[in-house]
Amino acid sequence: MAATTTPPLPDAVACAGLSVGYGRPALAGLNLAVAPGETLALLGASGSGKTTLLNAIAGFVAPLAGQIWLAGQLASGPGRLVPPERRRIGMVFQDYALWPHLSVVDTVAYPLRRAGASKTAAHRGARDILEQMSLGPLAERRPGQLSGGEQQRVGLARALAGAPALYLFDEPTAHLDATLRAQILDEVARRRAADGAAAVYATHDATEALAIADRVAVLHSGRLAQLAPPADVYAAPADLTVARLTGPVSVLTAPLTPAGPHHYTLHVAEARATVPATTITSPADTTDPAILVRPDWACLADPADPADSADLPGTITEVRFRGPHTDYHLTTPAGPLLIRDPGPPRAAPGPVRWSLLRLRLLPRA
Amino acid sequence: MRAAVAAAALLVAALIAVLVVVPLESLARIAAADGLTGIGRALTAPGSRVAIEHTVAVAAAVTVCAVTAGTALALAVERRPARSRMLPRLLIAGPLVIPEFVLGFAWSQAYGPAGLSEHLTGLTMPGLFGPAGIIAVLTVYGLPLAYLAVTAGLAARADPALERAARAAGASGWTTLRTVTLPLLRIPLLGAAALVFVTAAGSFAVPQVLGTPAGFGTMSTLIYSDLALSAGPAAFTELTVLALALVVLVLLALGPLDLWLARLPRAARPQTPPAPPTQRTRTDRAVMAIVWAYALVAAGIPMLTLILTALTRGPGLAPVPANWTLANFSSGLDGGAAIALARSAGLALAAAVLAPALGALVAGLARGRWRGPLATVVTLAYALPGSALAVGIIIGYGRWLDGSALIILTAYLAKFWVFGHRPAQAALDRLPPGLTRAARLSGARPGTAARTVVLPPLTVAAATAAALVFVLAFHELTMSTILYGPGTETFAVVIMNQQDLGGVGATAALALVLTAPVVIVAALTAWLTRRTGPSARTPVFIPNGP
Repeated sequence: MAATTTPPLPDAVACAGLSVGYGRPALAGLNLAVAPGETLALLGASGSGKTTLLNAIAGFVAPLAGQIWLAGQLASGPGRLVPPERRRIGMVFQDYALWPHLSVVDTVAYPLRRAGASKTAAHRGARDILEQMSLGPLAERRPGQLSGGEQQRVGLARALAGAPALYLFDEPTAHLDATLRAQILDEVARRRAADGAAAVYATHDATEALAIADRVAVLHSGRLAQLAPPADVYAAPADLTVARLTGPVSVLTAPLTPAGPHHYTLHVAEARATVPATTITSPADTTDPAILVRPDWACLADPADPADSADLPGTITEVRFRGPHTDYHLTTPAGPLLIRDPGPPRAAPGPVRWSLLRLRLLPRA
Repeated sequence: MRAAVAAAALLVAALIAVLVVVPLESLARIAAADGLTGIGRALTAPGSRVAIEHTVAVAAAVTVCAVTAGTALALAVERRPARSRMLPRLLIAGPLVIPEFVLGFAWSQAYGPAGLSEHLTGLTMPGLFGPAGIIAVLTVYGLPLAYLAVTAGLAARADPALERAARAAGASGWTTLRTVTLPLLRIPLLGAAALVFVTAAGSFAVPQVLGTPAGFGTMSTLIYSDLALSAGPAAFTELTVLALALVVLVLLALGPLDLWLARLPRAARPQTPPAPPTQRTRTDRAVMAIVWAYALVAAGIPMLTLILTALTRGPGLAPVPANWTLANFSSGLDGGAAIALARSAGLALAAAVLAPALGALVAGLARGRWRGPLATVVTLAYALPGSALAVGIIIGYGRWLDGSALIILTAYLAKFWVFGHRPAQAALDRLPPGLTRAARLSGARPGTAARTVVLPPLTVAAATAAALVFVLAFHELTMSTILYGPGTETFAVVIMNQQDLGGVGATAALALVLTAPVVIVAALTAWLTRRTGPSARTPVFIPNGP
């Protein structure tokens, strides 16, 4: 049996009991692994420890306790700190970190030069990469002569040039507008598909994290709050903080009764709705839980359809048209509620009926 | 409105004429009196040639030592967590508050023959009287300039992320230093090198204390001794030529740099949050040990020696409590010294009030295309070596003002104008144009808007400038020794004359009186700053009057 199966590849990154920071720790007892070829999103507010974790993986800070393994090799641990330049890492920085005294082509050639290539070979390699990324015409410019989006694409080209085994992205789109952000994300996805290296992508933007990652690690105050695929993090957040970090959410307060396996009945004024619900505790423990409703888990009654069964009461206070969808802010007897429906506005502020599709129940913190 | 602008322009032009143009023109006129052959003869006279060579060699050596050591220290200290940077910064910049003459004298007492170190260990510093000693003491003043320039450069240009990017791209620590950090610091380093060179070339007090006894003269000391000892017209022409040559030397060091810097684009600084604090490492402790050792040798031991010398009854006696006395203070302050002290304080106070006012005037009135050139002219007056400026002022105004303290005040204003001008200009540049517009739209008339929105930020700049000018003027020696007459000696001049007469104990006592107030105020400020947390602004330009 053992002879027929190849041993599994070691994780691209593995953190075991990782603590960083002296005094008030920036990371405390973190356990985390990234499989080969996997993209892990680090999602958290500023100060949650995202950048600290990236800096620890890159070898810029020594851990206080615990270990970091890169491709099965101990990189940081007690008495051992492999220097950053020997970790085969490509890093993309929030502020681009382009050297103001080097031209674009010299910047991209830099990792090749450090890997031992001759000046001409490094320049040839750099120009190839720039051509692939349609940056060829900018080769002779200095960072000061580039727009933000161009700078970050050069930063990405520099990370690629080192042919790393692992990419670290430190909020690379934080300073870019929506269009440029999409452009950079496309570029990242294409690259990743092409060379199959693993990546850790730090961001505070839930949409970005859910869209780009195979799994999402939600960090809160230096601790891992949840680690799961994007759909699970969105549908079944581990606690209220995770729920708020991973997308818009309304928290309702209303009487609730169990109604069969994985179903609960919600009482809103005189009306009631029985819907599927996920919960992390047993039904017996759900006395006065927080009732979480994502904006797409509820919908407005269709006034044109007399057969619409929506019967929960509420009042629309605000309507916000957002292009592909419309946000309706409601006050209901169970509390304020956000409903997101596709298409342009089809209801005006005033009394309305709405229906519920599903729920997430969490203990109140 | 137009008339007001014209009057203001006239005022600025008159100030520049009085403080910069007339002294320089006077120098040039006398120097060129005998035509080109006269200039050639003056420059090739054996004394002058040797003095020029000495000046260039000393200034070059000081520049190399100070910039190398200052850069190394700054790179070692400034990468550490913010809370552990304040103390090394204070230790390194500390000597700047000691007048050059005092530190030079203190070194001679500490490390010279019959000095404290010989008393305790039997060792003296070889070559203390001569070029080696001059270079060592001037390096103590040059090093903080390089250190501060690198610190400011690191803060303004070298985002830690830039170095991290290099490390992640496969560069080792040394390669990162060579390919990223030092290239980024090239401009501040060149600026620091030019500043250190100019300061060292213009220095008078240190070569006077440590060079003259060994017969080692520089351009500044030669100008002084020529002026003091010989009165012949030929010698006077020679010394004006020498002064002008010193000016040319300074311009050669500063000019190309200024032109080149003006063409460089400015880089805005992105902020990278600092790394989380880590435990103190062995390297940290080694760096602190080096900084402490440096501060002790450079200023700690010499100043301690100065205190002991001032307290000891006579030269050659052991500095033990049995031999202690306050007689040096009373005998030193006898006669004219106390009056000179009051006169110095008065002159410094006048300069401290007038320089910021004149600086703010030029900064406020000079707008548009006159801004740059005016700033250059004001800076030029500072860069002029004190000896040359003083000779120019004697020639220009000696006829009317000879023997009056006014001539000394004029020199102080010309020299220290820049310290009133720069902070005012910087404060004005920092004001977004929207501020006055917002004030106007909120109902303020132009005058009210200026008073309520523009002036408040200027007052902080003006107060800082006033304090700085007071210290520099109070300590000033180079120009005062050339310009003073009977009844207008400044305190620093009295101390130097006391040292000339050989009164070691009295010199030490007076040197302490000159130094102590400023040191105490500086230490108090530093202590308060430390208690209230590190200041957000890094001192970028702490000068040292040559």
